[in-house]
Amino acid sequence: MVQTNRPAHPRARGLAYLPYLLPGMVAFTVIILVPLALNLWYSLHRWKGGMSPMRFIGLDNYAELARDEKFWASFSNSLSMIVAMVIIPTLIGLVLAAVLFDYVGKHFSSRTAAALRAMYYLPQILPISVAGIVWNWILNSQTGAVNTILRGLGVASPPNWLGSTSTALGSVMLVLIWIQIGYPTVIFMSALQRVDPELYEAAELDGAGWLARFRAITVPQIRPETFVIVLTCTIAALKVFAPIYVLTRGGPESSTLVPSYYSYLNFFDKSKVGYGAAISTVLTLVIIVIAGVIQVFQNRSARREEEGR
Amino acid sequence: MKRRNFNALLAAAAATGLLGPSLAGCGSSGSSGAGADTFTIWDYESDDSAMGQAWARAIEIFKEQHPEVTVRIEEQTFEQLQKNAKIVLTGDDVPDIMEYNKGNSTSGQLASQGLLEPLTEQATERGWDTKLAASLQTTARYTEDGLMGDGDWYGVPNYGEYVFVYYNQDLFDAQGLTVPTTLKEFEAVCDAFVAAGQIPLAEAGSEYPMGQLWYQLVLAHADRSFVNAYQLFEDDVDWSADPIKAGTEKLVDWISKGYVAADSAGLTAEDAGTAFINGSYPMFVSGSWWFGRIVADMTQANWDQFLFPGTELFPGSSGNLWVVPTNAKNKELAYDFIDITLSDEVQAILGEKGGLPVAADPSTIADDKTRTMTENFAQINEADGLAFYPDWPVPGFYDQITSAMQSLINGTKSGEAVLAELQAAYEEGKADMDIED
Repeated sequence: MVQTNRPAHPRARGLAYLPYLLPGMVAFTVIILVPLALNLWYSLHRWKGGMSPMRFIGLDNYAELARDEKFWASFSNSLSMIVAMVIIPTLIGLVLAAVLFDYVGKHFSSRTAAALRAMYYLPQILPISVAGIVWNWILNSQTGAVNTILRGLGVASPPNWLGSTSTALGSVMLVLIWIQIGYPTVIFMSALQRVDPELYEAAELDGAGWLARFRAITVPQIRPETFVIVLTCTIAALKVFAPIYVLTRGGPESSTLVPSYYSYLNFFDKSKVGYGAAISTVLTLVIIVIAGVIQVFQNRSARREEEGR
Repeated sequence: MKRRNFNALLAAAAATGLLGPSLAGCGSSGSSGAGADTFTIWDYESDDSAMGQAWARAIEIFKEQHPEVTVRIEEQTFEQLQKNAKIVLTGDDVPDIMEYNKGNSTSGQLASQGLLEPLTEQATERGWDTKLAASLQTTARYTEDGLMGDGDWYGVPNYGEYVFVYYNQDLFDAQGLTVPTTLKEFEAVCDAFVAAGQIPLAEAGSEYPMGQLWYQLVLAHADRSFVNAYQLFEDDVDWSADPIKAGTEKLVDWISKGYVAADSAGLTAEDAGTAFINGSYPMFVSGSWWFGRIVADMTQANWDQFLFPGTELFPGSSGNLWVVPTNAKNKELAYDFIDITLSDEVQAILGEKGGLPVAADPSTIADDKTRTMTENFAQINEADGLAFYPDWPVPGFYDQITSAMQSLINGTKSGEAVLAELQAAYEEGKADMDIED
């Protein structure tokens, strides 16, 4: 249709790109829009799944969610996940990248820096199930390496890392930080290669120390990459599932419960498909809103940078 | 009702061979091309397990009896069948017989959806109902809503599983202790170990072992009517009264006395089992599924087993079921096969390999430990003592119980608080199930 119309109506030429978008739009519809709509539809029902009958109950699932303590607890744990997967790794990654690039790369060799960078990235490559099992061994209250060492040092009753409500969340956060550090480090290092070395040279001539250069040049120059990392990691933190599944299954006593795992529990363990769908719908909305907010900040920052020049 | 009549008709037609060729014609478009002379079996037991070995012999016998039939065995995985059975069984390309997980949310669901052939007639004609003890039959029968314990037969188990106490003979000897025969004596044994600075029970709070210990202590104060109320909803369960109250108080007491390690809330069943095998704990209350592993791995210490004392009821159930899909083409052959799996010869192999046969004579088993385990199982069956598992009644209860047990081990909640939460989840699950009526 579009093609035959093109010569007659010049205005239609603007739509000439449509055929190229079509495959992507079809895929987007099938893979994202339809499941999203179905999820929304399920969330308005009481349904056990499979071939059992669906019962329309309107917004009852959402009303129940609002009263569900576990649901709110899972979302407050999401804040801890953001600390462990976004804030701390980004800060550490920033410092690590700067040290590797500025110090190790220059005083030793770029090969050493590259080797170290690869090591920091290793946990990202490791399948999360493998890493989780290994950490389970390390943190095991009775036979784990950490507690064996602590007992050797004379600690009579070392912490029950993954088994106590007071330490489980912190332990999971530590593992997540370990997993995440490599990602910002690698991105920041490539970002640093983009920064004009003349800026540093000029600053050095002016007598600026390492810290002053880091603050005045490094951090502002790699701001776009920082936004990308914060955006992707925040989304990852909100929907984190696998580490929780392999480390604690949300326990003990729901102290490490996160929304995605809670949704999974309702879907598969409790066969409450409608309720699970309501949880994932809320989670999707929260992610869209937060991603939107970060984008607004990024755009504003980019505009300010352009105006500054 | 209509569906059942249709099924009966279909079965009769298939049996007389009327439908066989025509169905085979339909099936030719499928991948299998299975006809009346091909008998297809789906199972998911590994070849070296007791079940795998017993069934291999059953298949040999079947081939001898039906030389004209080609037998096709298709290995499935438990997870695959668990997820896909509902969809696969609605098609034409289905097995003639299939191993499937027992319980409300598995076989019960398939049965209530009309995907499984009712076997009641066969069970009475062929005497399966007299071979299987009453508590084993519970998992074989399902109501129209898919609740186990009543209604038609939809599956037949060959083997069973139950929970008992594994103990480390060397550690008992070191303290001069003998096997306890009452709950009091059991506590005296535990006290002696605690006094010697030894935690008596290998436990795990993040998986099933602790929940099973709780249920076992409840059962020690219960009778069959409680089990039927709790598992089959025959009556209301009072969560603030005995046996639940007494059993829970006992468990809280045991935790406070140090029978269970204070740092075991985050441990898995694997942690507890290996700790027992390593000799870190004198006792491990767990199931027959550990038996083969302990025989193989616990070689540096003397160990043995005893039934949990002071109770007639034990966590345990039949094993997985043989079920016949409604769309199966060779149902008569399937019934013949089930017959063979319940025969003395096949059941004897199950017993010899430690597989807890449901219809065998334990006295023929050569290995002492295997014989004891099988004899104990037979004894429990005779007394109708299998009480299933604590998490069976409602969906999602496993997670609830695990969380409750962690609260008790960590001492973050009282017994009453934990029971109130469990009760809420139990009632909610029960209400959810009734809605499907």
